Amino acid sequence: MIPLLGNLIFYLTLFFIIIFYLGWGKKILLQDQILLYLIYLGGIVPFLLLVMGFAISDFSILNVIQNSYIDDPLFYKITSVWGSHEGSILLWIFLINFFGIVFLRSNNNLQIHKQIIFISSLFILYLLLSSNPFVYVENSSEIDGLGLNPILQHVLFVIHPPTLFLGYIGLIIPFVLASHILATKDFSKKFFKQMLFWSKISWFFLTFGIVLGSYWAYSELGWGGWWFWDPVENISLIPWLLNTALIHSLQVSIKNDQLKLWSLNLALYSFISAVFGTFLVRSNLIVSVHSFATDPLRGLFLVVIIGYLFLVTIRLNIKSIIHFNQDTFSLVSKESFLLLNNIFFIAAALTVFIGTVYPLFSELFFQSSVSVGAPYYNFAFNMLMAPIILLMAFAPQISWSKHENRNNKIWITIIAAGCVSMLTFFYFSNFYFAIAIFIAAPIIIQSIVVIFKKFNKDLRFYSQWLAHLSIAIFIIAAVFTEQFDQEENFIFEKEGKSELLMNNGNSLILKNIKDTLFSNYQEILVEVSIINHQQEYILTPSKNIYQPSGQITNEVSTINQWLNQYYATISTIESDRVAINLVYKPLINLLWISSILLVFSIFLSIIKRR
Amino acid sequence: MKKSLILPFVGLAILAICTYFFINKSEKENKKNIALPSLLFETEDFYDKKTLNQKDLGKFYIVNFFASWCKPCLAEHPLLMELQSKGIKIIGINFRDDEENFVQWINEHGNPFFHIIRDDGSIAYEMGLIGVPETFFIEDSEIQKKVQGPLFYEDIEKYL
Amino acid sequence: MKILKSIYNLFFVIFFSLFINIALANVNQLNDYYKTIRCLVCEGQSIQESDTEFAINLKEQIQKKYDSGMDLKTINQELINIYGEEISFNPSNNHFILWFLPLLILVIIFFLVRNKYRKN
Repeated sequence: MIPLLGNLIFYLTLFFIIIFYLGWGKKILLQDQILLYLIYLGGIVPFLLLVMGFAISDFSILNVIQNSYIDDPLFYKITSVWGSHEGSILLWIFLINFFGIVFLRSNNNLQIHKQIIFISSLFILYLLLSSNPFVYVENSSEIDGLGLNPILQHVLFVIHPPTLFLGYIGLIIPFVLASHILATKDFSKKFFKQMLFWSKISWFFLTFGIVLGSYWAYSELGWGGWWFWDPVENISLIPWLLNTALIHSLQVSIKNDQLKLWSLNLALYSFISAVFGTFLVRSNLIVSVHSFATDPLRGLFLVVIIGYLFLVTIRLNIKSIIHFNQDTFSLVSKESFLLLNNIFFIAAALTVFIGTVYPLFSELFFQSSVSVGAPYYNFAFNMLMAPIILLMAFAPQISWSKHENRNNKIWITIIAAGCVSMLTFFYFSNFYFAIAIFIAAPIIIQSIVVIFKKFNKDLRFYSQWLAHLSIAIFIIAAVFTEQFDQEENFIFEKEGKSELLMNNGNSLILKNIKDTLFSNYQEILVEVSIINHQQEYILTPSKNIYQPSGQITNEVSTINQWLNQYYATISTIESDRVAINLVYKPLINLLWISSILLVFSIFLSIIKRR
Repeated sequence: MKKSLILPFVGLAILAICTYFFINKSEKENKKNIALPSLLFETEDFYDKKTLNQKDLGKFYIVNFFASWCKPCLAEHPLLMELQSKGIKIIGINFRDDEENFVQWINEHGNPFFHIIRDDGSIAYEMGLIGVPETFFIEDSEIQKKVQGPLFYEDIEKYL
Repeated sequence: MKILKSIYNLFFVIFFSLFINIALANVNQLNDYYKTIRCLVCEGQSIQESDTEFAINLKEQIQKKYDSGMDLKTINQELINIYGEEISFNPSNNHFILWFLPLLILVIIFFLVRNKYRKN
């Protein structure tokens, strides 16, 4: 029943879209507005149908058999919807239409909606032709389902992909708005304001999604770090960087009527980068942890979609070049600093992009396979980000158009930051941390000065203030964790001691090994405790063996000490010995707190509008 | 304006071409065949405690990595038994395994190997092993081909 | 104007000092070195993070070589000879186009923008 209905609705939607494009709406007595609502609903309902199919374990759908297990808890059954490739494309369509319908309430310009619908119809075609989740199979009562990939059975996974998708697809509104503005040459402020609102919404979800993904990899996959420069992470970072630049540049466009073409082009490219990134991952051109099953047809279709988006964009770019020279502002002004900000963010996004596709490129043209990983990005990306972060301290205080009142405060701040960083260098004798302090300290100093000097009630000011401050804190925490973490490997032999001494003088005691059976997995849990000044901290890392697939996952156990954390995983467990990997991560919690503050800061500026 | 547009791209092109030649050159230098590690001939057989003699092996032989904890190894085991009966010499390398499990595994499934070495990973490292099972075809003391994952009849057909 | 100029100068001093420092920085600890070696069977992880048999063995072998007095540079070269260049997350100097790109991109965009805006 559900497979039939799902397919039917999609074909009906495509039919409506054709009617809409031919302008036959009036002929069959439907207003364009209502037709639009129908089309959007047609993209929304199938997703809800599939959710229902998963919830009631309707095994007449092939996708349900492949991705869900009858004994899974209801919660995970529903989240299995986007665990597969087909389901996530369906989610993608659902979100496009969802944003479309929300956007329809504030702007009913048919030309703009035509574009959204066109993009949505491309994805619907893609879904129907190459990855249809509504494939019917003859129902037999013995089927229990093959089960969701166990590493995806986690609360964070439930919200991480949809959040990221919300971020990606939120960019569709700035995209269609920008292409509308460039096509009609109607540079009215109303459009820019809408663009800013939507790009902020997208930024909120993007940032939140990236943080969630990062936290998931850290706490669930047991990788022991928070950022890996994995292709999928990179690909989510590119739209984020471009979107960040877009938000900054839009401020100028709205306030001062400048940098408009920058904003428009940034809006175009941030959406394209989001789609392109998804394409790269889905087509398995780039190997990643998140890889999905390969099918050349899928890749081909996504190429068509991206090709279309690129064509639109490049045509608009060429058109827009004529308007390029309309900006006027003095060399020292907020505009020029925000322009510099644009340049650095675009360069950073390009660098990440090139690093991600370089292995592909090298294989193709140089016949040489190469891996580009953390060492490269740590060098190139940080290099590009360092100057922009130093700028961040001073740019917000510079006035618009022309900066008149010069003062020495900049130098005082920089010298103060230099002193602090020298002190940290002598205290910690770590070069990188000293550099990080030097870059981040001016922001913190300026933030404190500003908050005392200029007490105001403008919520937007606080959102900007908080965002910049949390970035500074984030940098300090990140560099500190990376530079000063301590990893130790403890091996407990069966006949050996059950108490081992740690490097910092504390001792680690093996207490217990438990083996328990749950409804869909078996858990082998090791209980160890750290004795620190008479206080006992218990860590319980475990290995889970999941039922239908036999896949093994590592469960991490952590203990917080204020902002620091002990992070334990089982590295090997055999009949006669257990090896525990224990990492001490200083300030890691500060990193998560600052990320949450960053997400919260944009939230402040969104609610301000309401 | 045009000049400033062209210059960086010319620079980029030159960089790309240079990179191409550099990589080509270094690839040629790097692409040496992996030599058979001497450890292979120095390590004693698990059962009769003798070292390998090049002469006994003949022109063509196989090096097979396996372990008792590896499930795909079982899949290729019958083929290895068959090859042994056809007179092909197989050097078995037991990769990072428990001795008890290994002996039990051999007793249970049969021994197709001409020579068995228990390896702590050193030989595997020298030969560039990625995972078990992995099979190397050796002709005239040089590695001719390597098969990752279970061996199939089609892989070896050519050499029979 | 003066402020801007000095800020730009400052940028480039920091830029290049960072460039030189990071380029010269050697990985001293074995643990840091493991982070630059790709686990070939785990798609995207380094051997430091992975606990597959492949990664564990590689770590043991590297440790053994390191303890016997081999320096990391030689070990790295040996690894590349055996497993090919994709074993290292750190692209070799032959791929200098990759290493110079960030700087090049920045310079290109910078000049393009400057020329565009100078007219006004």
